[in-house]
Amino acid sequence: MTAIENIKILEGKERKEILDSLKTQFGIEKFNGTLLQRGKERIFLYEGSFDEEDLKKLEKITFIERAGIYLGKLEDHKMRLSIEGSQILKNEIKKNIVELDNQEKDIWMMGHEILKKTGLNGFVIMKYKEDLLGTGKASEEKITNFIPKSRRLRDRSIEK
Amino acid sequence: MKERKIPEPKPLFVERIKKLLTEKEDLEEYWKIVKIEPVNSIRVNTLKITPKKIKEKLESYGWVLNFPWKDHPEIFVVLGKNPTGKENEILINESLSKLEPGELGRSLEHLLGYYYIQELSSMLPIIALDPKEKESHLDLCASPGSKTTQAGAKMKNTGNIIANEISMGRMRILASNLERCGITNTIITKKEGRDLCKNFENENIKFDKILVDAPCSGEGTLRSSPKTYLMWNLNSIKSLSKLQKQLLKNAFLNLKIGGEIVYSTCTHAPEENEEVVNFILNEFEDQIEIIDFKLPVKTRPGLTKWGEKIFKEKVKLSKRVYPQDNNTEGFFLAKFRRIK
Repeated sequence: MTAIENIKILEGKERKEILDSLKTQFGIEKFNGTLLQRGKERIFLYEGSFDEEDLKKLEKITFIERAGIYLGKLEDHKMRLSIEGSQILKNEIKKNIVELDNQEKDIWMMGHEILKKTGLNGFVIMKYKEDLLGTGKASEEKITNFIPKSRRLRDRSIEK
Repeated sequence: MKERKIPEPKPLFVERIKKLLTEKEDLEEYWKIVKIEPVNSIRVNTLKITPKKIKEKLESYGWVLNFPWKDHPEIFVVLGKNPTGKENEILINESLSKLEPGELGRSLEHLLGYYYIQELSSMLPIIALDPKEKESHLDLCASPGSKTTQAGAKMKNTGNIIANEISMGRMRILASNLERCGITNTIITKKEGRDLCKNFENENIKFDKILVDAPCSGEGTLRSSPKTYLMWNLNSIKSLSKLQKQLLKNAFLNLKIGGEIVYSTCTHAPEENEEVVNFILNEFEDQIEIIDFKLPVKTRPGLTKWGEKIFKEKVKLSKRVYPQDNNTEGFFLAKFRRIK
């Protein structure tokens, strides 16, 4: 583990923990890029050409706000992928996928839970046709929604 | 297109525009078009989707699209949508109605980062800079991220981009746009641009390509932001000109030999454009060359004279983009190479 002021580069055991969790949860075998952590749980993916030494050199001369984009959150050793996380890993995600129909897709993107028995438990990838829509948490009868407010479709029924 | 009511421009601004546009008809066209809202344009985020696929999706909403530049198939103009006969619908003509306010930004495709809403002329600096895969790139005044995301897509998330922004509020917008567009090759820094460049120079960190899309008086953005008329004043043009010269000078020193830098503004004021270009050519006389570049719009050459000020002949290689020439906003661009 290497720490820059507000960012930690994940290496060795810590990186392995995330890759193992992605493999167990979603069947992801191949993963490229540098993993970084901000705060206790927020994991970022950086795929640029700066290595650890470059980042340290950069940090000496300026405040680094972030490197790469938010990949997801580590919760109880399990990864909850962001919308971008699910899109970037689209071709590698093999399991725990919930396919939505058109109406469910709208409900999901408005930020509501989906009442659906999937037979799955825990984090699941939400998918509508070719579009990956982030992660939900499946329990017996529903899927809990984590779409951030800024990424939600307008819910006209509430507006009325 | 219907003209809007806009604030009254200040007499000095009117006088300066008259000096820039000396042909009567040209001047009339200018004043006519700045009263009209700009067209809705979007740039497809090719990191996430192909232009062909998103075209199908957007057309399924009844949106009517136009593709203004054949060499840039990722750039669309949304002309409007097919009329539905619903109440409150505003018709542009018999077969076209206006999009609802905010409709472009509320679509699922926008929320998923499949496209970026960006004014056509604002896409020009990256077209001029032409970032390539695996290059190192500095975007000195990066927020809100339209050009950073455009560069990231061109570079296919390879190489490295340092996107700098001094304001915390604007940096959050930058971060959110980079995230929505899935730009993974970018590091966001927060520092005053001139100081950041000095620090890069001290640490000998060099770049292949640099964009200085400088803070400016925004005269070119009157169509989308008529409030610029109220804020416009000559003093701020003069102080912005000083800042722009320092930004460009310090940034130039961060270029590798053979590296290229684009300087751009969204203003017509020569103090912020040709004067800055002339300054940098004098400052680095034997280390710099101003280079020509192609753009998919009609441009006019940079001025070599403004009032009492005479600029180098080569300043003509910079490009002025006027709203009446292309139905865009106004812009200014110049491109340089470091030769020593």
